[in-house]
Amino acid sequence: MALVPPEPATNPAAVAYAPRNALLTGPIAGFLAWLVPGLGHIYLGHRVRGVVCLVTITVTFWTGVAIGGVQATVDPHERSFWFMAQICTGGNTLAAYGLHRVVEPQLAAGQRPVAALAHWLSSEVGVHYTGVAGLLNLLVILDALGRADAPSPKRTRRDHPPGAPRP
Amino acid sequence: MTLVALFTTAIELTSAQRFLLMLPLCLSLAVVYKTIRLEDVRAIPAASLILSATIVLAMCAIAVGLWAVFSIMV
Repeated sequence: MALVPPEPATNPAAVAYAPRNALLTGPIAGFLAWLVPGLGHIYLGHRVRGVVCLVTITVTFWTGVAIGGVQATVDPHERSFWFMAQICTGGNTLAAYGLHRVVEPQLAAGQRPVAALAHWLSSEVGVHYTGVAGLLNLLVILDALGRADAPSPKRTRRDHPPGAPRP
Repeated sequence: MTLVALFTTAIELTSAQRFLLMLPLCLSLAVVYKTIRLEDVRAIPAASLILSATIVLAMCAIAVGLWAVFSIMV
């Protein structure tokens, strides 16, 4: 069986396909996936998959915040269990909680607009959207961790170029 | 400032709007699930639409079933 000849080390493509540190790839991919949905997949070379997850989860999360208002939606004190789900979309939830903290002093000072007091239907829908976005990102994080152990698509193409016999 | 107000001001919803907002949530759920499950990314759009339609139809069927049970028992 003919084997694919190894590429020379000076080939830029070979450098790009060099295997990453196996011990760090999983944790880095998982952390990136937690911080920004889909970034773990992009880091692993699954660009389309990562971008789809990034757009879908981010839009879902911020749609929920827009529907319910940040005060009623991202609230670790009043909705602690939902916040545990929301925090799975790390960066989004931290940004929303930062906005929550910015708006809170206005509430204390009585400057909060009446419309910010969410109708219970709105706040429930908003919490569901953000919570589901968080749980979806948990799936994405687990998938990124699983794919970190598998060969990346780049390496697969390098190992099996089109037309070359497979070992 | 307008952008911030978009996320700090809640939207008032009616019950019908609340149920309609279930559709995009089902779609996003289906898209993410199929994105991580399918190896061929070109198959994601069709598979996501099918899955989201299946979720909505299944929930409607469960609702009708529960309504029928409730009607019989009460």
